[in-house]
Amino acid sequence: MSPDILHGLQSVLQADVLGFLVLGVLLGAVFGALPGLTATMGVAVLTPLTFWVSAEKGLAMLLGIYCGAIPAGGIPAILLNIPGTPASIAATWDGYPLAQRGRAGLALGINALFSLAGQLLSILFLAVAAFPIAAFGLRFGPAEYFGLALFGISLMAGVSGNNVLKGMLAGMLGLALSTVGLDPMTAYPRFTFASTEFLDGIAFVPVMIGLFGLGEVLGQMSEKHGREIEMPAALGRVWPKLDEWRKMLLPGLLGAGLGTFVGAIPAAGGDIASVIAWEQARRLSRRPKEFTKGSIEGLSAACGSCNSAIGGAMTTMLTLGIPGDAPSAVLIGALLIHGIQPGPLLFRDHGALVYSIIFLMALAAVVIAGVGLVGARPLARALRIPDPWLWAGVIMMGVVGSYALNNSIVDVWVMFAAGLFGLVCRKASIPLGPLVLGLILGPMMEANLRRALILGRGDWGAVLSHPIVLFFLVATSASLLWPLWKKLRSTKKTAG
Amino acid sequence: MRRANTVLGGCFLALGVYLLISAWRFPAGMGRLPGPGFFPAVLGAVIVALSVALLAGARRAEGPGWKLENKAALAMTVALLAGFLLLWGVIPFVVRGFLFVALFLRFLGQPWKVALAAGAVLTAAVVLAFQYGLRVTLG
Repeated sequence: MSPDILHGLQSVLQADVLGFLVLGVLLGAVFGALPGLTATMGVAVLTPLTFWVSAEKGLAMLLGIYCGAIPAGGIPAILLNIPGTPASIAATWDGYPLAQRGRAGLALGINALFSLAGQLLSILFLAVAAFPIAAFGLRFGPAEYFGLALFGISLMAGVSGNNVLKGMLAGMLGLALSTVGLDPMTAYPRFTFASTEFLDGIAFVPVMIGLFGLGEVLGQMSEKHGREIEMPAALGRVWPKLDEWRKMLLPGLLGAGLGTFVGAIPAAGGDIASVIAWEQARRLSRRPKEFTKGSIEGLSAACGSCNSAIGGAMTTMLTLGIPGDAPSAVLIGALLIHGIQPGPLLFRDHGALVYSIIFLMALAAVVIAGVGLVGARPLARALRIPDPWLWAGVIMMGVVGSYALNNSIVDVWVMFAAGLFGLVCRKASIPLGPLVLGLILGPMMEANLRRALILGRGDWGAVLSHPIVLFFLVATSASLLWPLWKKLRSTKKTAG
Repeated sequence: MRRANTVLGGCFLALGVYLLISAWRFPAGMGRLPGPGFFPAVLGAVIVALSVALLAGARRAEGPGWKLENKAALAMTVALLAGFLLLWGVIPFVVRGFLFVALFLRFLGQPWKVALAAGAVLTAAVVLAFQYGLRVTLG
């Protein structure tokens, strides 16, 4: 066995690290289960709590939140027909009808078991595929990194539905914000408004808390009129019977496989994965008419896929530094705070840490499955907490967390401004994903482009003619033009 | 959506022009190598082009505009939060936090007793966790 595996396991199997993992999973379960809170918000708002602990403990807690929130998002999806996180959208289609037929316990059991299966399968993929991908990534020079960053942002913008233009503008805004502070090559101050507070750039965590915490709260306040909670009277049997296992196993595993693949595509998160997997399971099923009426096959595919997207997203994030979904985008910022830089070098220089991450994720998957099976009832009761209480808690955590980063009130004002901007983005249908990605990838993109130009003595042709760069440029163009072409085609069809 | 996209396009256009003008004032690079203004200038140019496209498309934009409900609650939350931050260092955190949470909850329709109790509990939890647990000076 590789010494890195042993070291990784050793650092995970410590009482305090495990304690932080369990705490993270429980907090993640609360953030996932309560409809007003999301996994992304959980990682963003709770990141400041990890500033004071070692990287291993902080990592354990953050991964626990991420891995705990997604499966817990299935609980309100099944009981209330409200997805707790965007990834649980497909779980509402069969989970809620199943609960309405008096089998809420079984639906919650399927959610817990196939979340475990999906997460473990995708973690296995991470363990097997990540090292070869990272080894390939080690061949990248500055020009290739520039191409990769450009491609990542274009993908985020490209999957912005009908708002590709707004997605591109959001990505550009993120990149523009990343230029605030000292120039990475010459240390010339840019857009600092003569304030020393901005010399290090705009702090990433307050922006995340503002966009995904305060912005989400304000967005919900601008829409909600209060939700009515009608819970099933009794949950009933949780564990599936043998014949139910037979029906669910194949669609569940198909969902897990598809989810891992889709999750690994930058910007395509658990929501897209679960919709695709549910549709494929319906197509392949012998009982397609049962779908949307409480099909256990549909539910297992949905739960397996949205959870397996976690491992896929983490593979892309850890190997190339490009997040696979919104929570992993926020997680990158949190990892950077702990001095962990995702990318190929992480695998070459800190192999043990990578294995720690893999073991932590696997343990978190097991813990949240246990919570889902045993603790579904108390979590279901937590759904009755009124929204204003949750909002007050999120705002307070956001304010204090932003301040605690540098003991700076400027960071809190940045969070406040980001929150207001987050509200505008929600109202104006501006996707936040490209903005976050632009902010994260901006420094890498600029520094590598300029490094590549220095190496090429200012010759753009030399920079852009690298085969991998060319591939990324073609892929970038395709990802941006594809939605436009699709829209044009559908307009023509409608006109015809 | 037409008006919303026009306003948005205008804001982005202003940002793009600002980036271009600012980048122009930054020191030039050495020879053919780009200086500190190069990247912001490229971004500014792209933002200007995209904003013009958004403005041009705004005429054909369909669908409802921005829909803000509970405007009074939103405005009060923003005002309360701004006040909470402006009074940072002036009034102790315990008082500020308590007042913010209690008034926020009261304004959102919670009974006074519940609002006051939640304000006290939440503020105490934050102070205990951050000030005493994590040694953050909240002021």
